[in-house]
Amino acid sequence: MSGAAAAVPGYGCTIDELMVVTFSRAMANDTRAFNGAVSFIPVCGYRLARRTHAPELVWAASSIAVDADPAVVGSSTLSDELWGGASMLANSPFDFWTYAQGARYNTFAFRGAQMDAYGNVNNSVIGPYDSPKVRLPGGGGMADLGCMIPRIYLWSSTHDPRTFVDRLHFRSGIGWGDGGDHRASLGMPGGPQLCITNLCVFDFEQESKRMRLASLHPGVSVDDVQAATGFEVLLPGDEVPTTAQPSTEELHILRTEVDPTGARLREF
Amino acid sequence: MPDGATVALGGLSMNSAPMAFVRELVRANKRDLTVVAIVAGMCVDWLVAAGCASRVVAGLVSFEGFGLAPNFRHATQSGKVAMEEYSEHLLICRLQAQARQLPFMPTVAGLGTDVPALHEASGALRIETDAATGRPYVACTPLAVDVAVVHVHEADVAGNARVNPKLIWMDSEIVNAAERTIVTAERIVDTGSFTAEPHRTSYPRFMVDAVCEAPRGAYPTSCFPEYGHDGRFFEDYLGACGSPADFANFFERRVAGPTTWGDFLAANDPQPVGDGGEVGS
Repeated sequence: MSGAAAAVPGYGCTIDELMVVTFSRAMANDTRAFNGAVSFIPVCGYRLARRTHAPELVWAASSIAVDADPAVVGSSTLSDELWGGASMLANSPFDFWTYAQGARYNTFAFRGAQMDAYGNVNNSVIGPYDSPKVRLPGGGGMADLGCMIPRIYLWSSTHDPRTFVDRLHFRSGIGWGDGGDHRASLGMPGGPQLCITNLCVFDFEQESKRMRLASLHPGVSVDDVQAATGFEVLLPGDEVPTTAQPSTEELHILRTEVDPTGARLREF
Repeated sequence: MPDGATVALGGLSMNSAPMAFVRELVRANKRDLTVVAIVAGMCVDWLVAAGCASRVVAGLVSFEGFGLAPNFRHATQSGKVAMEEYSEHLLICRLQAQARQLPFMPTVAGLGTDVPALHEASGALRIETDAATGRPYVACTPLAVDVAVVHVHEADVAGNARVNPKLIWMDSEIVNAAERTIVTAERIVDTGSFTAEPHRTSYPRFMVDAVCEAPRGAYPTSCFPEYGHDGRFFEDYLGACGSPADFANFFERRVAGPTTWGDFLAANDPQPVGDGGEVGS
């Protein structure tokens, strides 16, 4: 299932590595995270952050294995392949869901087959719900955790108009909802912080809660991003910066310790 | 297990599904089953492929990084099998309401999404507002389950059962909700091994109606820490989906055809138990 990722011009790395490092740098030292299915970029990001600038970061592998430190990232991010070195195997119904509902975990990352400008996601159907063109796996915990966790991160290795759409065919998980104060009015904490793609990084404009271009990866233009996005991309007041270059140390740790077998390429 | 029953399957995605039992449902040619599985994969796909399931009640069905569950996908797209979609926690809350005999279990899960509206007409989920605080919540009504089937490491003949370590995914939610529970176990052990270490018991005998010994009974999913999932099986299964004839041949040869569970394992040649398999170091 593994694909290949494009080189980033002038950065001495590939796009998967730039995405992992960008994700890692967004993680503060007080991050308490867990991961769901097919979440190779966030899993690598949490592991890299803990090995670099965020040594106290908590990561529960597959939402179960607290402080896991496996030798490799395997073929599934929900399996026991990831649990080596854990200090606790949390019990799912009672431990995990209580920590999540109480926001004791504060960070979660999800991606959808479709994502909209407010960071809402669809992983249920493409096409009409009752006669879909594609029946997708379902939202799993997205609909739950999107409501419960204050720091939500989105990512996509397929930044194109089919993924970034103006209107979801189904809302499986909530980001900023209808925008503005909609999420807060439902009593939900925080909301989406960043969306990291293979072309750029979006943050969310403070009032409208719509995706706004925060940085462009090297070799990518504003027009490229707009052409690949099915909704109007908001631009910052100033010139759009270039996504920061990964350090030699970050790339070395990612390649030799965090994910030596390149499991992250399963998302490409 | 009568035709038309509602059967809930344990495990999560690539882990600890009661596959030996599911294979017997396939071989017994069961029909019209409603299959409840919170986060599922291969177990649901087998039952759909064999025509046993008419309805799937789930939060997620996939083969994770290996791909979509092919038979589930096509049968639900064509309408041959109904998909009753929940999120993970909305489904857990329906099971908890059933287990505790409550009119509903409240949760904030699913608010602001399109999931609760799928169940407005049936009344299974209702969005309500707490009169005291003004906070909205989803009221999850009880979900009746005829039989739960879960896979464990060890059980005794009385039905005491344990998972090593205490990790049970969400299996206890379906056990607690179901009218009857069937346990498949890697090993049958003496009751003395439970009384010697009662703190390690996962399910007491009064919650378990039947025990079946099924060594390697979760294959091709994992049974941590004794064996990992078999990625090769998932790849071969998906590789056979190119044509209906190829898949029918594969399914007969590698899943439904072998007579005993031992024959089934021999047909699939899994890695020996205890070699570490794909379990992290």
